[in-house]
Amino acid sequence: MGDAPGAEQSLTTEPRLAEGGAGSIAPEAPQQEPGLLYQEETIDLGGDEFGSEENEAVSDDSNNFADKLSEHMMESVLISDSPNNSEDDTGDLGGDLGGAQDVREPAGGSADRSPDSVPGQGKGAADTPSPDSESDADKAPKGVSEGTPGDRVALKADPEPEGKGLPACEHEDAGEPGPRHQGPPPPKDTPVPVCTIFSQAPAAAAQPSPFLQDGFESQMVKSPSFSGPSRPASGTPPPAVQPSPSLSTFFGETASASSLASDFFDSFTTSAFISVSNPHAGTAVPGQLSPLASPGTESSEPAVPTASLETPPSPKPFSQIQAVFAGSEDPFATALSMSEMDRRSDAWLPGEATRDVLVSVATQQYRTVFVDKENLTMPGLKFDNIQGDAVKDLLLRFLGEKAAARRTVADASAVEQSFVGLKQLISSRNWRAAVDLCGRLLTAHGQGYGKSGLPTSHTADSLQLWFVRLALLVKLGLFQNAELEFEPFGSLDQPDLYYEYYPHVYPGRRGSMVPFSMRILHAELQQYLGNPQESLDRLHRVKAVCSQILAHLEQGLAEDGSMSSISPENRQASVQLWRSRLGRVTCSMANCLLLMKDYVLAVDAYRSVTQFHPEQEPQLLSGIGRIFLQIGDIKTAEKYFQDVEKVTQKLDGPQGKTMVLMNRAFLHLGQNNFAEAHRFFTEILRIDPTNAVANNNAAVCLLYLGRLKDSLRQLEALVQQEPGHCLHESVLFNLTTMYELESSRSAQKKQALLEAVAGREGDSFNTQCLKLA
Amino acid sequence: MEVNPPKQEHLLALKVMRLTKPTLFTNIPVTCEEKDLPGDLFNQLMRDDPSTVNGAEILMLGEMLTLPQNFGNIFLGETFSSYISVHNDSNQVVKDILVKADLQTSSQRLNLSASNAAVAELKPDCCIDDVIHHEVKEIGTHILVCAVSYTTQGGEKMYFRKFFKFQVLKPLDVKTKFYNAETDEVFLEAQIQNITTSPMFMEKVSLEPSIMYNVAELNSVNQAGECVTTFGSRTYLQPMDTRQYLYCLKPKKEFAEKAGIIKGVTVIGKLDIVWKTNLGERGRLQTSQLQRMAPGYGDVRLSLEAIPDTVILEEPFHITCKITNCSSERTMDLVLEMCNTNSIHWCGISGRQLGKLHPSSSLCLALTLLSSVQGLQSVSGLRLTDTFLKRTYEYDDIAQVCVVSSATKVES
Repeated sequence: MGDAPGAEQSLTTEPRLAEGGAGSIAPEAPQQEPGLLYQEETIDLGGDEFGSEENEAVSDDSNNFADKLSEHMMESVLISDSPNNSEDDTGDLGGDLGGAQDVREPAGGSADRSPDSVPGQGKGAADTPSPDSESDADKAPKGVSEGTPGDRVALKADPEPEGKGLPACEHEDAGEPGPRHQGPPPPKDTPVPVCTIFSQAPAAAAQPSPFLQDGFESQMVKSPSFSGPSRPASGTPPPAVQPSPSLSTFFGETASASSLASDFFDSFTTSAFISVSNPHAGTAVPGQLSPLASPGTESSEPAVPTASLETPPSPKPFSQIQAVFAGSEDPFATALSMSEMDRRSDAWLPGEATRDVLVSVATQQYRTVFVDKENLTMPGLKFDNIQGDAVKDLLLRFLGEKAAARRTVADASAVEQSFVGLKQLISSRNWRAAVDLCGRLLTAHGQGYGKSGLPTSHTADSLQLWFVRLALLVKLGLFQNAELEFEPFGSLDQPDLYYEYYPHVYPGRRGSMVPFSMRILHAELQQYLGNPQESLDRLHRVKAVCSQILAHLEQGLAEDGSMSSISPENRQASVQLWRSRLGRVTCSMANCLLLMKDYVLAVDAYRSVTQFHPEQEPQLLSGIGRIFLQIGDIKTAEKYFQDVEKVTQKLDGPQGKTMVLMNRAFLHLGQNNFAEAHRFFTEILRIDPTNAVANNNAAVCLLYLGRLKDSLRQLEALVQQEPGHCLHESVLFNLTTMYELESSRSAQKKQALLEAVAGREGDSFNTQCLKLA
Repeated sequence: MEVNPPKQEHLLALKVMRLTKPTLFTNIPVTCEEKDLPGDLFNQLMRDDPSTVNGAEILMLGEMLTLPQNFGNIFLGETFSSYISVHNDSNQVVKDILVKADLQTSSQRLNLSASNAAVAELKPDCCIDDVIHHEVKEIGTHILVCAVSYTTQGGEKMYFRKFFKFQVLKPLDVKTKFYNAETDEVFLEAQIQNITTSPMFMEKVSLEPSIMYNVAELNSVNQAGECVTTFGSRTYLQPMDTRQYLYCLKPKKEFAEKAGIIKGVTVIGKLDIVWKTNLGERGRLQTSQLQRMAPGYGDVRLSLEAIPDTVILEEPFHITCKITNCSSERTMDLVLEMCNTNSIHWCGISGRQLGKLHPSSSLCLALTLLSSVQGLQSVSGLRLTDTFLKRTYEYDDIAQVCVVSSATKVES
């Protein structure tokens, strides 16, 4: 039945994986391809052509003992290719051969198989232990088993031309730089939108270590019940990295598109936007000053020393008061203009250089402050429009124009051009439109497309807009886009990001305009781009500031270390806020360590989060238990799960019970007992019938028990009964996977799911989980 | 792929999916504070997301299981599990369906089907499901061969096969090193390297000794009555990590005497390794029999029976040597010479006759010596001369003693 397209699906993952290896780690990275079904093969096995290749292997034991005679020499068990295979061992050299396949062409293969035996590669590397035993101790040092070319298993990437649809597991040699398959359209290989932390490691990590002359000799390992030979294999994993699939489409800097939005914006820039202020900002700006904060006035406001040569305005009486910046000379004035809440949440400790600039701004009334252009934040939109509705595209493709026409999602123009409209878009899950609207509002603020690198001024609102836009980009998985637009913000410590820089706009106000959550986002973004170490560094810096601020508060100082008097209630509230921020950043560090697979440190970090959020202890302990389960350390996992049971005994209500049952189910899963796991997941459903996780997990267990139809029924019921809640990508991914397993007609069923999605989900829906492309 | 009609129109469709363990869904937490522009909106979105952990949404690792997304890697010693589904795509009832799953390895062909009985009939849109398991025992190419035969309503016998090829890789690299102690003990150091791409929890690494030896594992220490592993809190091996295990092998009584004079290769035993990976996916491997060349002692072996570990400066102390004739059939007539070194001074007569020593027999010899230098000193300078062959055997660096000044109180 060899239907070629089937194989294509897996083959095409290669190019994109290679690309991923170069750059970024998306959290969904580890998956290589949506098609988990085996590809079909039409190889007709011609009987026992494999037989001869490894027969002599049994003699292995006898020919490697000689290696062991020398105690201090490095010896290896040599394993060589069969004589008819002279290729070098590329497995050790190429950085990313993945689980390279050596395609062994059975002699009896039908005629149409011939193309896949590409010269120099395709033939199966039949590997037999070398009869040449290297018994001479003197030449031993070179003989680690990853040794000499030709002496080893040659794990070859399979270079066969695709179209043929041959190898079942071709997807493994993902990063293989060699032969590329070009044919299939990119959508074929879009990754499944499911994130897993625990699968593949970066390719480089799996390289065999260089030869060590440490006196060790390699040992054969084999299955206990098998007497045949085993040979070292240098399987390197495919790179774990994939860029966000939809990225390239949006990435081109479409200059033409930019004009559209700005044109549009000119028409209302002076109306809607100015009047809007962030209701959540509370007492952000004292009432009488608020007009100053509006971008319209801002741009013409000379008070802001935006460029180096700009002369500050002539001194105003008010600026005298600003001289308090460095100290607490005038607590009265400070108290007057700065609300407790703002001070509490905006507090930040600038770096040395930034601090100097801010001090001179505060004392600048008779002098010019020179601020180097490099120390200014000059953000601008880097791409103008990421609007697009993948659901609609799929509707058009599979169900025709009519269905597509019925699909209506709000776009940026459909709502009020304000924070209110922005929130509507966010809560209706039209994040792409929301990103677009943020862009429009920022354009109105003078930080639109192409404005990057041009002097500008910042307000609390403009930074909030940036935060929302960047946060949504991250939520959409458009990490590179977010990175591009984050770049002008540097380390979020430039002087013009502090209120003190704008004494006339924000008289008396201190601290950073950058929302704390934006700092977290800024740090976390790097881990999604494949630089978890950078993330960790940034998080540590944030954590250091949090700790320092808490230390100040404990010493009876204000957050920034100044000597202002704070009432006990306010101090208490501030300690609470900063402790919760410390907890937030610690949790981010734990997540980052988890992505880095440093499980020991991750577990420590999660444990320390419980100090800040004791109410989350059972969840965190369960999470730690799951980490151990993922590593394979079932016993330790069980220990943590038992701790959870102790902690939850004090809890009332079903939540604790659900947690306990969930953990027990996972433990059975770890013990390979899917039947018991299923029983516990089902038990949860008795307490909480709408529990999506338990429903989904029970269905997954059913599949492993060989009950595909039951599993499908359960998932379908879940999606139908709770569409608002359960059209989740993980559930849909499982469902479509089972559709593919069930029948050759999965496409119709997937399209039905698409229709369900179209009726409910906004433009941020990740369509990859439908596996329709 | 499934929209493509097969070349030959079959009424049944065969689908196969490898069942690696499911994975846990991870989400991307994005939060904001009450005071930020979105207010509670981001946090609310996270709470509404069923894949987040209820009550601790920032926790990245959720509870939602997702099915395997690709074939993945399969390693020697692991269990290969696969779902085989035969679905009736047609609108007619199909009869006498027989599904057979074989695994072709490079050396053998195994039948993996749970039952070989034919199913009497399969209604439209119904499935025959089978989950197969196989512990992988060979490295290299494996091909899963699924054959389906059935009879149509018209009585026509139909048959088709599908092949699924995969590679079995080696999960571990094991290197060993032997140390021969002065006694007949043998120390085995084994380095086990994880050459897979995922973290690996080592559940068991034990040495199964051959009949000649008893083994003591030296991989845990007794701390306050509790056995604590020497590997610390890191219970797992990251990809490419290597862990070193140490074992001490003692020859059993009945072999002890012989082991001293046995030459050449001896079988020590084999390592048995059990590991677990993602969600308890288990694997087990054994090494082949580890063999070691017993150290060559030449014709005459001099070993130490007793020596103090700490001695006092310039005070004589005693050692007991054992001299064994390791030659096969030659009786030796030996003369012992004792040569002083910079620090070691022998007491007693040098050049004395030790008398006849028959093959495979040994004699014990008490010697007295003193050290004139403090610190760790090497006992050297014994010479045995076979008077018949006029051959001299030199024994230097036989052992070390710690020499302390008399002022220092020797603790033990």
